[in-house]
Amino acid sequence: MSESFRASRGRKVISRASATDLGVVSHLLVDTQRRQVAAVVIGSGKKAQLVDWEGLSGFGPDAVMVADGASLRPPRDDRERAAVDGKLELVGKKALSDRGNELGKIDDATFDADTGALEDLIIGDHRIPAGSLLGCGSYAAVLEDQQPASA
Amino acid sequence: MKLLMTASQIHGLPVVTVRGGEDVAEVRDVIYSPEAGRLIGVTLNKRGFLAGRSREVLPAEAIHAIGQHAVMVLEESSLVARDDAPDEVAHPATERDVLGNDVLTEGGASLGTVSDLVLLVGSSGEVVGYQIDKAGGGQGYIPLPAQLSVSGVALVVPNVTEEFVADDLVGLGASVDDFRDRLGLK
Repeated sequence: MSESFRASRGRKVISRASATDLGVVSHLLVDTQRRQVAAVVIGSGKKAQLVDWEGLSGFGPDAVMVADGASLRPPRDDRERAAVDGKLELVGKKALSDRGNELGKIDDATFDADTGALEDLIIGDHRIPAGSLLGCGSYAAVLEDQQPASA
Repeated sequence: MKLLMTASQIHGLPVVTVRGGEDVAEVRDVIYSPEAGRLIGVTLNKRGFLAGRSREVLPAEAIHAIGQHAVMVLEESSLVARDDAPDEVAHPATERDVLGNDVLTEGGASLGTVSDLVLLVGSSGEVVGYQIDKAGGGQGYIPLPAQLSVSGVALVVPNVTEEFVADDLVGLGASVDDFRDRLGLK
């Protein structure tokens, strides 16, 4: 089932093992090499934690289920700290082609709720296959140029 | 039809990594080789809180593409310390600067003086023309490769160049291929 970045923000996160409330989804961290949701960021600020995609038992329409609440962890490197601060958030990010031209702002992105695989990036009226995503940092998301060089 | 921009439009553009999506520097100045008809590199400023001249430079070979909104490099390691850069990038020869040069046709007519370089958008720094302050006043754009010799004072272009002086970048973009066809340079 296809899931949206925008719609999943604020979704509650529940432990499958203890049925306790662990917080809400604040960001999704994307692995741009694998074009895959790598981790879910829960909460914000100093208390924000991450859970790796592999630690989920289900990314459902009503709740994100974590197999074991103990698998929540603090950010462990600069990239994860940036993600927790929202600096790598795909939605709202400036989109830049690898030719150096701005394409607009990423309004939303979709992923497969079963596998975490990115599907499409949505920029205005355009749906761009996630396969064209080359990198995402604090400044921009870089996409492979879609059109021939001449316009 | 080619999409073009002037070298002065590159000044201040962020240098962004394709794989990282980070702005690692911004363009301070362009280094141009009139003989080669292309950029040989750009000098850099730092971004953000540490703004100011960067000790690193970006050789043209390391540029992935120059666009309207950013200069793209694959990785941050594409920037090199000035000392490690090829000499022509580290210590550009200013006496070969074409800006301010008189543009003369082979027939001896002055078309104006060079005021800027015109680059092909999306390339790694191909210069396809010059912006000129026209002899009769106003700005114009002439296509390259047109120059036959550069002295640092004047550059001499074929007579046919006069027919291809464009009023704007769009006009130049539309005519640069025709111009090259006429000269048999395709």
